[in-house]
Amino acid sequence: MRYRSQSIAYWYFAIAMCLFGLQLVFGLLTASKYLGPDPLLDFLPFDKTKAIHTNLLIVWVLTGFMGATYYVVPEESRSEIYSVKLAYIQLVTWTLMGVTAIVGYMFGWTAGNKMLEQPFPLKIVIVIVMLMFLYNILMTIKRAGRWTVTEGVLVAGLGLAAVLYLPALIEYENYTVSIFYRWWTIHLWVEGVWEMIQGGLLAYLLIRLSGADREVMEKWLYVIVGLVFMAGILGTAHHYYWVGVPHYWLPIGGFFSALEPMALLGMAMYAYFAMRRAGFSHPNSLAVHWTIGSAVFTVFGAGLLGLAHTWPSVNKWTHGTLITAMHGHGAFYGAYAMTVMAMISYTLPHLTNDRKVEGNSLGYWAFWMQVMGMFGMTLSFGTAGIGQVYLERILGLGYLDTQLKLQVHFLMLIATASVFATGAALFIWNFFRTVPRSAATIDSSTSAPDLAPAGHASSAGSG
Amino acid sequence: MTKRQGRLFFIICTLVSATAFIGLTFDSHRRFPGLTNEDKLTPEIIRGKDVWHNSNCINCHTLLGEGGYYAPDLTKITQQRGTPYLTAFLKDPSQFYSEEKHRRLMPNPKLSDAEISEVIAFLDWVGHIDNQGWPPRPIIVSGTTIPGTDVGQPSTHTSVSTDPVAQGEALFRSSPPACGACHSIAPGVNLAGPTLAGLATRAAAIITSPEYKGEAKTSADYIRESITHPSVYLVPGATYSANNQSFMPDNFATDLEPRQIDSLVAYLETLK
Ligand code: HEM
Ligand SMILES: [Fe+2]
Repeated sequence: MRYRSQSIAYWYFAIAMCLFGLQLVFGLLTASKYLGPDPLLDFLPFDKTKAIHTNLLIVWVLTGFMGATYYVVPEESRSEIYSVKLAYIQLVTWTLMGVTAIVGYMFGWTAGNKMLEQPFPLKIVIVIVMLMFLYNILMTIKRAGRWTVTEGVLVAGLGLAAVLYLPALIEYENYTVSIFYRWWTIHLWVEGVWEMIQGGLLAYLLIRLSGADREVMEKWLYVIVGLVFMAGILGTAHHYYWVGVPHYWLPIGGFFSALEPMALLGMAMYAYFAMRRAGFSHPNSLAVHWTIGSAVFTVFGAGLLGLAHTWPSVNKWTHGTLITAMHGHGAFYGAYAMTVMAMISYTLPHLTNDRKVEGNSLGYWAFWMQVMGMFGMTLSFGTAGIGQVYLERILGLGYLDTQLKLQVHFLMLIATASVFATGAALFIWNFFRTVPRSAATIDSSTSAPDLAPAGHASSAGSG
Repeated sequence: MTKRQGRLFFIICTLVSATAFIGLTFDSHRRFPGLTNEDKLTPEIIRGKDVWHNSNCINCHTLLGEGGYYAPDLTKITQQRGTPYLTAFLKDPSQFYSEEKHRRLMPNPKLSDAEISEVIAFLDWVGHIDNQGWPPRPIIVSGTTIPGTDVGQPSTHTSVSTDPVAQGEALFRSSPPACGACHSIAPGVNLAGPTLAGLATRAAAIITSPEYKGEAKTSADYIRESITHPSVYLVPGATYSANNQSFMPDNFATDLEPRQIDSLVAYLETLK
């Protein structure tokens, strides 16, 4: 860590980890309701625990992205953050917003629109927080008078994420129109601008971890983001098939969304070849695991499992079944949860005291239990979903009767989710195990060894 | 390739697809009113949409296939269940389903009478959106209908045969009218409506019983009357009717052609 203000990142990551833990508590609670009966039916029914589960996910991942940006931007622009105070005010406001939302959901204060459940006043707070964040980052870059493509992609991704949230502020009388614009936020986030963020962070990590040449990495970053947008923008239409839009969206959505995995495959190859060149020799091998793991799991969860049901003639049968939950879990985890954990694993030796750069066995258990647990969860949802499509959609068995026949898959879900949650608990415990480095002790002479592999001195300056 | 060419590729890809996407969005807005029957979008329906959102229905159910995956899809629900049934259900779902049996139950949404009729109006409007014919076959809430499934058979619109019984059977299984969504033909399997197994035999007994106040003189008459005027004779059971009104939709007299009703009667008469 070269710059004192990078320590802001620690507190963003700490909040992200707390919310991640809470997300899993609500996830397990929600999963247990699939088995039923539900003793909490009148106090915390499925709709509430599920909304809390998904909202916590979105909030903690965004918290992680913002923390990561506070870490990356000073290094890339070679300057302290413009206002450390503003960054902390922003974090407190953001956390209060998140906590208020969750308590509100418990008591039925909700906009009741999937993943955009935040009541209107909280949506305004979200916009204000995003503006504080972008102002702080852009002022930092402006003051430094220097920016790199890596941070440019990262910051542009976050800026566009804020812009794409705006359609969610408008109320639409026509339900079809409301669905149409809900996907401008949700789809264009996860299959557009969040992939930009992921790409930017991946480039940052790869340049540091592999010592790869920055010019080459940034050239390919442009190409990958270009592919993401080429396929992802028109790919939005894979959510439009059955909601009351003109017919032409069907072939368009099918064709372009089927191209999306190409961009994700490109990202994985990008990571793999960069690392192979360096011979995987960076001492922080845990961060290498998370970085490569994220790129590979994205191809599986988002690319492959997305492709599995994106074609209209398949989606016609799978739409609205547990097949979607299968893909949603694999994709969000691989692409975004894992990217944040890669950033945390890379930065933690710099942000906290008494931590070995190469990590400890706890860290590897956390990695492998999460990866295997999540793989099992996607299999559980997937097999349940296939059963559901066959019995309910094709044979015409009643919805409730079908769900009863899926009990064994729900048991499998809870078992694999417990493995996953244990891995996550280890990760969170490992995070809080050592105390953060106080800002006063930080200057470049005492900073932890931020080693690039020998013989691969990077051109990035701080590598 | 140089970094500049990489950037150019990025800019061109983004601009081309964003332009196409926005262009098609404009075109879609021209088409939405027709596809969604926007002229029928009354203030009551819009209030019903607010009820739908405020009650967080979407985090258990799906509508147009979007939502939670924990409760049945409601896209075509008003075409499967009449307003009286839905009203009674929304007042107290636990009357209709058992948590012991299905291992899950809908919590009471605690809606006022006005809110109930608004949300039903909203669901009915959604059910008439032109959404490329999804779902491809009716999604049924509960009840085993595999024995009577029509997997692989052509739909009624392409006539299966000229025999009225065969036509009636095919019509019974298609949607609309989705008779099979509420009635099974298996003995003892009561769905939202009573089983129709042994219907003709039962009809003969009902028309001679003192409780029967209708006009029917034969079982065929009784079956026809049950389709066109469901409330004339009420099958006993708290989940079938309330306030002397059957929960079965009463739109069949107008929505089905006389020929279709004839064929349904011919088919149902064979269930002895
Ligand atoms: C990192 C990238 C991705 C993430 C985080 C992601 C996440 C999700 C989530 C959470 C949903 C469920 C939305 C809902 O039910 O409201 C979803 C739906 C869907 N995703 Fe993705 N996705 C990603 C990439 C992809 C890709 C690359 C494809 C196609 C190749 C794809 C295809 C689909 C389809 C077809 C649906 C709709 C399923 C339906 O409702 O019928 N996704 N995605
Ligand atoms: Fe999507």
